[in-house]
Amino acid sequence: MSATIADPTHADPESHAGHGHGKKGIMHYLWNTDHKVIAMQFLFTSVFYVIIGGSMAVAMRWQLAWPGHPIPILGHLLPSTVVNDDGALISAGYNMLVTMHGTILVFFVAMPILIGVFGNFLIPLKIGAGDMAFPALNELSYWFFSISGVIMMAAFFVPGGAPGTGWTAYAPLSSHAAYSGTAMGQTLWCISLFLNGLGSLTGAVNYITTVITMRAPGMTMFRMPLPVWAIFITAILLIFAIPVLSAAAALIAFDLNFGTSFYEPAGGGQPILWQHLFWFFGHPEVYILILPAMGFVSEILSVFSRKPVFGYKAMVYAMSIIGLLGFIVWGHHMYVSGMSLTLSALFSVSTMVIAVPSAIKTFNWMGTIWRGSIHYTVPMAFAVAFVSMFVIGGLSGIFMASTPVDLFVHHTYFIVAHFHYVLFGSSVFSIFAAIYFWFPKMSGRMFNNTLGWIHFWGTFFFFNLTFFPMHNLGLAGMMRRISDPTVYDCLKQVQPLNVVCTIGAMGLGFSMIPFLINMFWSMKFGPKAPANPWNSTTLEWTVDYPIQHGNFPVTPTVYHGPYEYSVPGMEKDFLPQNEKAPDHITLEAH
Amino acid sequence: MTHAMFPVIKTPSFFSRLFTRLVAGVVFLLLVVPAMAEQRVGNIYGLPPCVTVSGGQIDFIFKIIFWLTTAVFVIVQGTYIVYLIKYRARPGVKAHYSHGNNTLEIVWTTLPTIIFLALAIYSNRVWDDIHRPAPANALTIDVSSYQFGWQMRYPGISGKLSPSDVRLISPQNPFGTDTTDPRTAQDVISPDLVIPVDRPVHVLLHSRDVIHAFYVPEFRLYQDCIPGRTIGWVWFQATRTGEFQLACNQLCGTGHFNMKAPVRIVSEAEFNKWLSVRQQKNAAASATTPPASIPSGAGAPLTASETKPTL
Repeated sequence: MSATIADPTHADPESHAGHGHGKKGIMHYLWNTDHKVIAMQFLFTSVFYVIIGGSMAVAMRWQLAWPGHPIPILGHLLPSTVVNDDGALISAGYNMLVTMHGTILVFFVAMPILIGVFGNFLIPLKIGAGDMAFPALNELSYWFFSISGVIMMAAFFVPGGAPGTGWTAYAPLSSHAAYSGTAMGQTLWCISLFLNGLGSLTGAVNYITTVITMRAPGMTMFRMPLPVWAIFITAILLIFAIPVLSAAAALIAFDLNFGTSFYEPAGGGQPILWQHLFWFFGHPEVYILILPAMGFVSEILSVFSRKPVFGYKAMVYAMSIIGLLGFIVWGHHMYVSGMSLTLSALFSVSTMVIAVPSAIKTFNWMGTIWRGSIHYTVPMAFAVAFVSMFVIGGLSGIFMASTPVDLFVHHTYFIVAHFHYVLFGSSVFSIFAAIYFWFPKMSGRMFNNTLGWIHFWGTFFFFNLTFFPMHNLGLAGMMRRISDPTVYDCLKQVQPLNVVCTIGAMGLGFSMIPFLINMFWSMKFGPKAPANPWNSTTLEWTVDYPIQHGNFPVTPTVYHGPYEYSVPGMEKDFLPQNEKAPDHITLEAH
Repeated sequence: MTHAMFPVIKTPSFFSRLFTRLVAGVVFLLLVVPAMAEQRVGNIYGLPPCVTVSGGQIDFIFKIIFWLTTAVFVIVQGTYIVYLIKYRARPGVKAHYSHGNNTLEIVWTTLPTIIFLALAIYSNRVWDDIHRPAPANALTIDVSSYQFGWQMRYPGISGKLSPSDVRLISPQNPFGTDTTDPRTAQDVISPDLVIPVDRPVHVLLHSRDVIHAFYVPEFRLYQDCIPGRTIGWVWFQATRTGEFQLACNQLCGTGHFNMKAPVRIVSEAEFNKWLSVRQQKNAAASATTPPASIPSGAGAPLTASETKPTL
């Protein structure tokens, strides 16, 4: 494809024959190269893992509030490597849940939904393309992901059980069979992440190529909607970060199975090598999980405030700088790991600096709603809550960024509170916002509002009830990843807070029920949605449901930036990207 | 909003009510619930007592950051909530058309940059100060971690730890000492960490198997113990006596949750008394340890510590 902007629609209908379009029955869903179907494959698979990973969290919370007490219902569903005969968690099982909860939520829920679902669904529709650049590779990406999930879950049922080394799998606990007793589970973990990484890489290649080569006429880079920018930058991060994890995980598998000593000091290896490799991936990963979320929220705030995004270019630059700086802050996970103290000091400077673009984005979100005309819908409520939770998560991060304070709060519940405010309060809230916002376009139907509001208030309240007290627990000295806080004298007095967190976690679990009912019921029986229910300006709202294969009957032409709301002098308060502004109106440069 | 297309718009008053409830809920959550809990237990939101000199420095920065972030939290969330209520959709009011403001962008980029850099510089000064070399009068203790427990080695009558090498660490020789060296027998081994008050204590952190972490919340101190290495830059000075617990704070296997050791801070006199009693107990036990010597050609001299790691 030589032209920067290629014809997005496949003019020749015959070329669709191999795309799985028109296939009947189960094959339609098993091998289909339409980006919209692939998005749905990712969504349904991830929802399954939300339930699995979330249940694990509730089981852990139960153990922390009432150590050694059998877990009602859940205790009987967990495998025998995790619970005893009464259905109470054993300490090895607790470690397995710690590991798998983190791994599943990061690699099988947050990443696939943010990138697999919305990257796939939104990129072609928002830039006016007919599909992804490499449709078959796109479906392959889903299957890598899908198979990696099966391998990961299989780890629970092999001798020794699932790995109990944390999602960070620090060597040599993870790389030496005698130390963990879960060599086989850990090997499956490595293989699964390797395959999962291949899925991310094939997806990322596709997104980058599609964004660069398949934009509709007039869709310049600076006219792209922010979710597209966000996923584009994320895809670049994936290309550089994922191979490092894959290689590092392969080395663990070698150490475990082939007698190498990459991480084993007795054989000349270095345990800290793993941490450097893991966090070189792991820190960009944090931004991989938040950038798309920021993109969705920027757009949703703009739509429901009926105002252009405040500082569109500042948003793009801020995301780019976050992406760049994201590669030189990994050492802030390692201030107290035995790494050079001078390096710790350097990493703390880059870490403080990376807070700046996040602050810029927060101020711009507030600028977006400022003097707006805010319409409170369920997606808007989640987007609004996102900003608020992101502020809390961002501010608590400053404590850890300061090297001396990290000496105190490192690996306590303070950090658990911090990253759940960022990953749940921000990423997952944004995922909910995005699912509600694009639900009419994905399913052709409207969701049920009442259930949506119950879901929102339940999630918002119980999320804070679960995670806010964890700041206090951390400052009281509660270590993360311990299965029984009551063995420590200094933690006995804060045990009531653990009970509060657990009640919150159970409430949070129940809050998911109206969401799931709403999605599955409304998808089939909800009222039919109009093409553009939110009066939005971007291209995906110009096509009717069901969106045909190839997306746009006629290639759209784009005339201006993505967020032209409430343009003075116009009767309607939104100007779609494919509509020219009336002659008497001049649009403000963004 | 001229096109009333939103199928889900509620009246503003409904939202005002919701926000009132939200604010009430948050206040209840943050103030009333902990207050109720506090009637039953002691210190629920304060920090645990701080018993080291460096811990005091850390608490000071902690307080600066706490009040700074609290101020930002109140200002940002307060403004946000005001906007959310004030700019809700009202009939006949159209949103203001604006794509942004470059002056504002520059202001809110520069201001946080200055604050964050100042914080980083100040933090690193304290960081360097905490990690300056241990004073000459420091008591050196070898701390050895293993799945799932702790063992301490104290200098005997000579006042100096006998030489050791991490390459010698094995189940038979947990501290990697040279058992052919007569000085080794003078070392005092203890399962508890007993330290004198008001005297610098320099700990050499070791691990025999996986990574563990030396963590005492009251010391405001966390440091990983790495197998195959000696972490030698950790020292602290206790400011008062008391009994605490040393915890492993790095997931290290099935027994991790319970990998702890008692910490006792005592007066210098009490410490010396404890050490001599301990030494007598040890004398009998040490005779049974099989000898181990430094491998020939191992090159490097027996150094007790690595005060600065390589990059």
